[in-house]
Amino acid sequence: MSAAKNVKRVPTLCYNCVSGPDFMKVKVEDGIATEIEPNFDAQDVHPAHGRVCVKAYGLVQKTYNPNRILTPMKRTNPKKGRDEDPLFAPISWDEALDIVAARLKSIRAKGQVDESGLPRLAVSFGHGGTPANYMGSFPAFLAAWGPIDYSFGSGQGVKCVHSEHLYGEFWHRAFTVAADTPNTRYIISLGANVEVTGGPCAVTRHADARVRGYKRVHVEPHLSITGACSAEWVPIRPKTDPAFLFALIHVLLHEHGLAKLDIAFLRDRTASPYLVGPDGLYLRDFVSGKPLAWDEATGQAVAFDTPGIVLAVDGRYRVAKAATVDADAARCEYSNVEGATAYRMLVDHVARYTPEWAAGICDVPAATIRRIAGEYLEAASIGATIEIDGKTLAFRPVAVTLGKSVNNGWGAFECCWSRTVLAALVGALESPGGTLGTTVRVNRPQDNRHLSVKPGEDGFMAQHFNPTGSNSWRPVPETRNLHSTLVPIVGRNGGWSQALGPTQLAWMFQENTPADWTMPKPTYPEMWIVYRSNPSISFWESRRLVDAAARFPFMVAFAYTVDETNYMADLLLPEASDLESTQVIRMGATKYMEQFWDCHGVVLRQAAVAPQGEARDFTWITTELAKRTGLLPEYIAALNRGIAGVSALKGKDYDYSLDPATPPEPDQIWDSVCRAATMTLSDGKEEHGLDWYKEHGFYAVPTSRLEWYLTPTMEKQGLRYELPYQERLLRIGRELGNRLHEQKMHWWDEQLSEYVALPVWDNVPARWERELVNSGARIEDFPFWLLTTKSMQYHAGGNAAIAMMHEISENVRGNTGVIINADTAAELGIAEGDRVEVRSHVGATYGKASLTQGMRPDTLVIVGQFDHWATPFAKDTERASLNTIAPMSLELTDATGSGADIVRVAVRRMARGAA
Amino acid sequence: MSTRFAMAIDLRRCVGCQTCTAACKSANATPPGVQWRRVLDIEDGRFPDVSRTFLPVACMHCANPPCMHVCPTTATKQREDGLVTIDYDLCIGCSNCIMACPYDARSIEHTPHYAYGEPMQSETARFDPDRLSVATKCTFCKDRLDLAAVTGQTPGVDPEVTPACVNSCISGAMHFGDVNDPDSNISMLLGGTQHFRMHEELGTDPSVYYIWDGAKNGADA
Repeated sequence: MSAAKNVKRVPTLCYNCVSGPDFMKVKVEDGIATEIEPNFDAQDVHPAHGRVCVKAYGLVQKTYNPNRILTPMKRTNPKKGRDEDPLFAPISWDEALDIVAARLKSIRAKGQVDESGLPRLAVSFGHGGTPANYMGSFPAFLAAWGPIDYSFGSGQGVKCVHSEHLYGEFWHRAFTVAADTPNTRYIISLGANVEVTGGPCAVTRHADARVRGYKRVHVEPHLSITGACSAEWVPIRPKTDPAFLFALIHVLLHEHGLAKLDIAFLRDRTASPYLVGPDGLYLRDFVSGKPLAWDEATGQAVAFDTPGIVLAVDGRYRVAKAATVDADAARCEYSNVEGATAYRMLVDHVARYTPEWAAGICDVPAATIRRIAGEYLEAASIGATIEIDGKTLAFRPVAVTLGKSVNNGWGAFECCWSRTVLAALVGALESPGGTLGTTVRVNRPQDNRHLSVKPGEDGFMAQHFNPTGSNSWRPVPETRNLHSTLVPIVGRNGGWSQALGPTQLAWMFQENTPADWTMPKPTYPEMWIVYRSNPSISFWESRRLVDAAARFPFMVAFAYTVDETNYMADLLLPEASDLESTQVIRMGATKYMEQFWDCHGVVLRQAAVAPQGEARDFTWITTELAKRTGLLPEYIAALNRGIAGVSALKGKDYDYSLDPATPPEPDQIWDSVCRAATMTLSDGKEEHGLDWYKEHGFYAVPTSRLEWYLTPTMEKQGLRYELPYQERLLRIGRELGNRLHEQKMHWWDEQLSEYVALPVWDNVPARWERELVNSGARIEDFPFWLLTTKSMQYHAGGNAAIAMMHEISENVRGNTGVIINADTAAELGIAEGDRVEVRSHVGATYGKASLTQGMRPDTLVIVGQFDHWATPFAKDTERASLNTIAPMSLELTDATGSGADIVRVAVRRMARGAA
Repeated sequence: MSTRFAMAIDLRRCVGCQTCTAACKSANATPPGVQWRRVLDIEDGRFPDVSRTFLPVACMHCANPPCMHVCPTTATKQREDGLVTIDYDLCIGCSNCIMACPYDARSIEHTPHYAYGEPMQSETARFDPDRLSVATKCTFCKDRLDLAAVTGQTPGVDPEVTPACVNSCISGAMHFGDVNDPDSNISMLLGGTQHFRMHEELGTDPSVYYIWDGAKNGADA
């Protein structure tokens, strides 16, 4: 090996999945990136001690991959389709940017919204918002533009942990939910593969917890990585998780009883004492309209917030005079009416959900369910306290965590509700050791969920639902996924609300709308910009999606390699990749997954090496687009507001504002961002520019662990978590139904059934079976459930073209094939490594059989998102994919707009030697 | 007592993520298909009573190394500090050591291999022709250990002189140090935990210790 002349180690970060950022250094020898190493300079600020996960080690190959797009390319074949070679031809940056700018200016001239009320410009980003950490100043350009449609999902919005996002924010400002792993003692994990998806912070913390002696029970149809690392694996029947959770609640309420629960938490922090009338609505004070509760001191019903009262948590009480308020403010008045507390309603509701009942549904023994519930209650240590930063808090070291396909799609509302109720029953909701939310995205401000908590109606947090009132509902959708029209709970707070709408509806309704659709016909976006996203692989029924994308008039893709989505592009723009470009982002405090830190601050991703070929820094591209589109002043104004940075570039102690008339160089932008961020974080005491960050990498200030827990904030404002009884959701669902029916539309009626005060078991798996039958197929022809799971090496699949990831992922059982129970395989004559066909009623996918005992006999699992046909390298790996054969279906769309990665399939061995 | 470098791997912590595998490939520029270190994914039992264990494996730097005994050219040697080394100038690529090693820790590549066919810049910069047609394996990152002798730093404590895999481990499962020093991190760790070594019955006296809970891997106490 030749001696290197010049060796340096460049501090930077990895944010390839949402569980970041993580710290690393790039070893650069004579200008060439050669190695990835941890950054131990950050070991005291980073919960994973300055380490990155396996994916980061692939970034050197990502940089030098010979399959990269390294010059702007223009499509020369006007025909689009999977069978149409795009015949991309190299062009100059000048030509490429002029083409985009001309299109954008043309759109602005016509108006940014078309005749159907939909934005003419659509933009799609990939996995969980991570592209924002790589797109430099592009968010400032988007802010400068105006209306944009983020409807066309690549998986986010419907295949993410969707119901958890929406209901999590509703109940406890928890876009993502985690156990307080550093403090917890007992976790019931339903499909939450946190060792795979939680990043180094979660892996480090759960390893510490295992050695410390916590117990985790993992409930999932197959023995995943997290199942393997848990004390107990419970192989539940797919999609029956609500029944399991209902039975846990039953055991707590009926076999242990209120006296053993956290009565104070239920009384003071939840709606348990609110009285519910015979029509299922809160009994309200006749005059003030406030919910009534029973005061044990005076023996009468009073408004819940009457000072000095002692509220009854359980019971039925007779109320002399009360009113209820239904959808559209329909008021009903009662005298001498009986009201049951919300807690009593819950107790009565779950009476039927015994462990014995659940056992028949979940295929989990009743004794196991009963034991787990008992262990959970005992570990909750009700009455215990802990001191954190001088404040004494309740210590409730138990948590329930949910994973993908448990917390999205039909049945997910029930699971999310159950998980939150289980936490509330023992006082573990947002308490040390318990179940925490870690970030907000559909509420603001996004960097501090505590500040998003404001007093709202009925003693709960203020919510920002899309309106459902007769005068406020939007009968004309403002986006192609109808987020503000169909999904009240997703809100309308900018890009995240849009992106979390029912994104498969955007794809499906480009083809056909339901028969009784009375809204304006959906239109194609005139321009679609795609970055770090490949929906033609990552969405359901991916080949059908390709056909839809091929009909879009004009597509611009920021492109790493050719892939299955940008195969339909008109223009490919090569951006400088992870190790080649610069950006400053936030770190720490509380973010996605288990990213709750003891500090917060900013960290720099910097160009460790020069970009390959003609690839350009995203911020340079953005500034050029702003300039050529005539949006420079608006773009720089957005930068000055802090849109692409961490804080505004002008504060009370500083002014690093950029001149609106002068196109700034990328380093000039980031220098201002660095200085503004440091001044903000240090309260004006320190100022560090880009050069300082290039040397030191990050700047951190301490965060109190009190920031991890929302309950003290709720307590301070005298607010209650809006459960266990979902009166507001019931009313909103009825209102939404009224609006749709007024428009003579009934195609969303099944989804309206999810708006209930207390969720019921409605045989969730049967929904998939009915869809199959309604499509003309026979259940008996598809005897297995097919699920998917993630892999740390690939995670969301953005690095499927990296050779080293492919090589080392093969060390992990099942990563390269179709995972099947070994005994089932033997019955079918399938041996390890045999090529198999997995067929659903919408298609077939092919891969190698991977036999295991750690799998239910009635279930198959395919890891990740593959079946590439255009992406170089990945297309030669011959990996099967659930996405190819799982249907996009209105019938399989729940009320939040999400679906789940599950489908009925048949499996068979292909003939020996079959290609 | 002279130094004997050893590794301790806490199986209660390991999640099979292969970060150590990747870090080793990154640090040592091994070609595609050659993994001086990897994590085995081992299943035991029958449904539904199944366990799955992650077991990082590599050269065990045995005190009694079978590979050294069968080497016809003395290319495989043992250092004073316990490291088993290969002198590429002496190795003739006969594969005796590969057959003798009970840990499947050695590789031989006779032709260059690159991730995408033709070499990338990062591969060209690190290509070492001396590694062709010779046995290769985990070196415990011996260059780093040798650096420690110069700088006075402590392997297993200071990252600059600690094997790349140990540095990279996100679960904190991997530890390194002088097992003959009773005050070293690794000695203190092993003193307070249950552990075993792989294939001890073969008399190889390996330098890699596996910490476990004595019962079901990953189970709660």
